[in-house]
Amino acid sequence: MSDQVALRIDDHDVMVPAGSTIWEAARSVGVEIPVLCHDTRLAPIGVCRLCLVDAGEKKLTASCVREVEEGMQVTTRNPKLDACRAGLLELLLADYPADATDRLKTGRDELAELAVAYGIEWDGAADVGGIPAGGGRSSDASSPVIYVNHQACILCDRCIRACDDVQVNEVIGRTGKGYETRIAFDLDDPMGNSTCVSCGECEKVCPTGALSLTILIDEAT
Amino acid sequence: MELIHELERAQAERAYLDEVTLRELARSLGVPLYRLQALVSFYPHFRTAPPRRWTIDVCRDMSCYLHDAGTRAEELRAALADNADVEVREASCLGCCELSPAIRVNGAPRRLEDAAKVEAQLTAGGTAAPRPDIRSWRCDPYAPGDPRYQVLRATITSADSHETTDRIIEALEDSGLRGMGGAGFPTGLKWKLVRKEQATPKYVVCNADESEPGTFKDRVIMEQLPHLMIEGMAIAGLTVGAREGIIYLRHEYEAARAALESELDAARAAGALGDDVFGSGISFDIRIFISPGGYILGEETALIEALEDKRGEPRNKPPFPGQKGLWNLPTLMNNVETLAYVPGILLGGADAWKAQGATGFAGLKFISVSGHVERPGVYEIPVGTTVAELIELAGGVSDGRALKAFAPGGASSNFLPASSAGAAIDFAALEEAGSMMGSGALVVVAEDTPMLPLAANVVRFFRNESCGKCVPCRDGTEKAVRMLDSALANGTALDWGTINKLNLLLAETSICGLGYVALNPLISAAEHWPDEVPQEGRSGA
Repeated sequence: MSDQVALRIDDHDVMVPAGSTIWEAARSVGVEIPVLCHDTRLAPIGVCRLCLVDAGEKKLTASCVREVEEGMQVTTRNPKLDACRAGLLELLLADYPADATDRLKTGRDELAELAVAYGIEWDGAADVGGIPAGGGRSSDASSPVIYVNHQACILCDRCIRACDDVQVNEVIGRTGKGYETRIAFDLDDPMGNSTCVSCGECEKVCPTGALSLTILIDEAT
Repeated sequence: MELIHELERAQAERAYLDEVTLRELARSLGVPLYRLQALVSFYPHFRTAPPRRWTIDVCRDMSCYLHDAGTRAEELRAALADNADVEVREASCLGCCELSPAIRVNGAPRRLEDAAKVEAQLTAGGTAAPRPDIRSWRCDPYAPGDPRYQVLRATITSADSHETTDRIIEALEDSGLRGMGGAGFPTGLKWKLVRKEQATPKYVVCNADESEPGTFKDRVIMEQLPHLMIEGMAIAGLTVGAREGIIYLRHEYEAARAALESELDAARAAGALGDDVFGSGISFDIRIFISPGGYILGEETALIEALEDKRGEPRNKPPFPGQKGLWNLPTLMNNVETLAYVPGILLGGADAWKAQGATGFAGLKFISVSGHVERPGVYEIPVGTTVAELIELAGGVSDGRALKAFAPGGASSNFLPASSAGAAIDFAALEEAGSMMGSGALVVVAEDTPMLPLAANVVRFFRNESCGKCVPCRDGTEKAVRMLDSALANGTALDWGTINKLNLLLAETSICGLGYVALNPLISAAEHWPDEVPQEGRSGA
């Protein structure tokens, strides 16, 4: 097998090393595919589904995990993909709390940015695009450094991989199942009582207001 | 498999997994604490609080729902409220729908009689398990007392093994055999694809985790015909070049486990399994892995994740398990029923197998029949038998009522109206009729059954069983349930534009089949019974 793979992404002819993902290949020619669960420093897992593209197959495919294949014809935008992405954002924003952006973050609130890009209004209480709002998840202020707002967590798994694979601290996992799933520290201990060493990597990679610095914005400014 | 085994072993010893035990386990196994939390909180078999003397699991799903399980469970709960020895829990489909409304009392399946009777039985120390009724089955080529595993013996000892496996694959392709777990993938093709993979070792996994509401045929096959499934696995191993087979069995199936264990011993004693199968020098053996629970584990990649000691969350596909399955190695995964047909097909030939179907159709099919029928149970029918004929075979609609609706392939298959009961039970014919064969589970719905609450019950099942990995399924099923609950509680119309949007997200953007089908029952109920599913924003409603 050749080391380079040729494929077509929208109206670009693309040549990338074998083993690249469609998402990486698209990026190499300036096509940015939206994604919330992926970060270039982490191994991709394809759970937020925003990066779905049409590769001419029966099902849409998550471009962040899907490896390129010779001769692939990939469409990254069309009305159906746009509708799917907007719908997924509405699902996430229906549960996104009003206080998600109240605290200081090292990184950006990428969910709030995508909401703006797709013109989706949310106020943390009312339905979003007809989808009933949710709430009632807890928060955890036990860590001296990082504040955990479970209601703002979209279970993108970035913090889990950053803790495991970037820092090798192995503290964070998922607990529960289905809609009740949350991130958890050790045996679902308060973050401040867990084996967390407060390195801050999880907060840095978090794309929402779920993990933020304990200092409030008004104290910081 | 080690981690889940260790958790099961610890729970068997202490009855539950307390924090001290989990911390000790993490230390002795050298794994982070979060990995144990992730497993214990995901799998319903694990418990973190001490059990009471009696645990009663009450099924809340489709077939039992049709037998008023909700009300009966409330009565039971009320009657036992003051009994500190009993815990009543709601459970997903237990795989014994012929006992609807079904319960498990400390693991033993029972029909839920009236509450007072259950309490009296507990006081008396429980009840005897119903005796399985051993029947003869057309798909079994072995008469009672005949030596078994003869197809395996003949193939493994023949001179040119590649020619032999070519013939096996050709016979399976000619027979038209398809996967009986729900997806219907052509079996011969699957075997061929795994055979051509170069990586080794390879694995054969029998998916014995049937959990689709209304489905219990695999349980009966394992209890009554374990030798056919085991022989099918060994032939599969020989064909694709695997030396190890794993039966992934749902933990509720204790009688099936006993039957399989005893038959595995018999097969080893007969030389059909082990280091030197029938003196060929080829080794193949099979072990049983008990699932820690959950419908999603029947999804093939979720099942593999569980075998790898992870949360049973489906993988993005491709790659498929045939290329990269267990430990990223080629893995042939087939359903119990599919494997059980293999010896008969190879012994009698593809033509003889096909000739067993009704006129114009090919082969045999096990169907679980439940819901509003007189004699629920597992029926082995010629493919092409009509739904109406099978309902007759099962004694007709219960209490002399008329047929209103049916789901031919379990909870995820579209509901069809009584006017479609002339449809043949066959993959293509049921698709043509607007539904699917699915897991081969005919759920019968009698007249006067309101369709919206029934559809809501099924959507709730998918919400309950969603693993939570991907956004559309985790959030979409929950939002659909909230909308349905609100419409049912207030008698209001459903915002149909939003339901359609959720269906688009579930069907198009989910990682696995659970999400794809989650709103099928609702959409099909609305299509056939629009008056019963009040919709805002849908013309003609």
